[in-house]
Amino acid sequence: MPSLKDIKTQINSVGSTKKITSAMKMVAASKLRRSQEKAEAARPYSSRLEEMLSSLASSAASGEGIIKLLTGTGNDQNYVVVPVSADRGLCGGFNSSINRETFKLVKSLEGNGKKVQLMPVGKKSRDFFNRVMKDQIIESFVDLNVSNTGYESALNISNKLQELYFDGKFDKCILVFNKFKSAISQEVTQQQLIPLDVSNSEKEEEKENSSNAIYDYEPDEETILKDLLPKNVSIQIFKVLLESDAGEQGARMAAMDNATRNAGEMIDSLTLKYNRTRQAFITKELIEIISGAESI
Amino acid sequence: MATISFDLVSPENLVFNDEVGTIIVPGKDGDLGILPGHSKVMSSLRPGRVMVYSEDKNLIKSFFVSGGFAEINPEKCIVLAESVVEVNSLEKTSIEKEIQELENKEGKESEEQLSVAKAKLEAINVNYYDKI
Repeated sequence: MPSLKDIKTQINSVGSTKKITSAMKMVAASKLRRSQEKAEAARPYSSRLEEMLSSLASSAASGEGIIKLLTGTGNDQNYVVVPVSADRGLCGGFNSSINRETFKLVKSLEGNGKKVQLMPVGKKSRDFFNRVMKDQIIESFVDLNVSNTGYESALNISNKLQELYFDGKFDKCILVFNKFKSAISQEVTQQQLIPLDVSNSEKEEEKENSSNAIYDYEPDEETILKDLLPKNVSIQIFKVLLESDAGEQGARMAAMDNATRNAGEMIDSLTLKYNRTRQAFITKELIEIISGAESI
Repeated sequence: MATISFDLVSPENLVFNDEVGTIIVPGKDGDLGILPGHSKVMSSLRPGRVMVYSEDKNLIKSFFVSGGFAEINPEKCIVLAESVVEVNSLEKTSIEKEIQELENKEGKESEEQLSVAKAKLEAINVNYYDKI
């Protein structure tokens, strides 16, 4: 049976853990609010850009000077998969679900005879893939500090991707990231970044086609499209980084909330045990005294 | 006189959103003056000043954009710019320093940055369009 002192120490240590987790929860909650605001602020830009692109995509597809970011290389042998994870842990299944999903995706692509390379974003996925598929990593991006310099990091990633793409190093690029659904739930999502997937924006375009049809383009459609497409890649990455950042904070908040609650329960049960043990000691001592008195 | 709604959007936030009288944007092939009822145009932008005027032609604000796109229709003008700063908040000395540093570097990227920085300097120095 543990001594009273042991239980007391245990209660204290669980208590301080509880303090830490509840502090982390509050920090995550305030960061979450900030990341959400950021994500919200970025929305007008990306949605506008998408609208422009969708109205241009149709006109370019019918013209001749089509560029590869939109149409692809005509092959689908070489893939680049970009898992977007967090730099830090203690956020529940946030990172491991990204890693698991990416791992599954890579294996299934390889099962179909494709060549897959990796470009992990965030320490947690870099470390994971450094262990399991080290030679497939071409580049990794860590310490992004999304809430401050998010767009610059997105630019870096997109520049690197485009450089490789135009060198003919890969044909398709897929992002794997946590989509922010609500503060407590994230959904692992795959998004094809290159070539651009216009299938969903095409619907929007049909809807607005009547109003979009008669734009004048300056200098001309092709030039605009050539400017627009690389920007779109960076914006998509930026959006994903923001979503993932908000998701991370949400996941951490939920995880820390759970941990705080668990610690509370543990303290309750330990306190109960402590009181019982103390009572048992008192009873034992009483019995000893009484039996000692009787024997005299 | 009528007004036109103007949005200036950067990736990080919505910088400006209001009903205005006139806007001048630096189109790739030349500056575009946009009044209410402008025909539909989509244009890419070069680095330069985006000037916003009230209905009675007073300058409200001028921004420096490093490039981007403008979408214009009779009721609305939307400028998507990669980086937006108010011209008033630009500092001449720091830009001159930047230009000097960039001139010593080589490569495509720093060349682009250099042209943006030079456009910035020009944006501070020139004052045409201040009155229209």
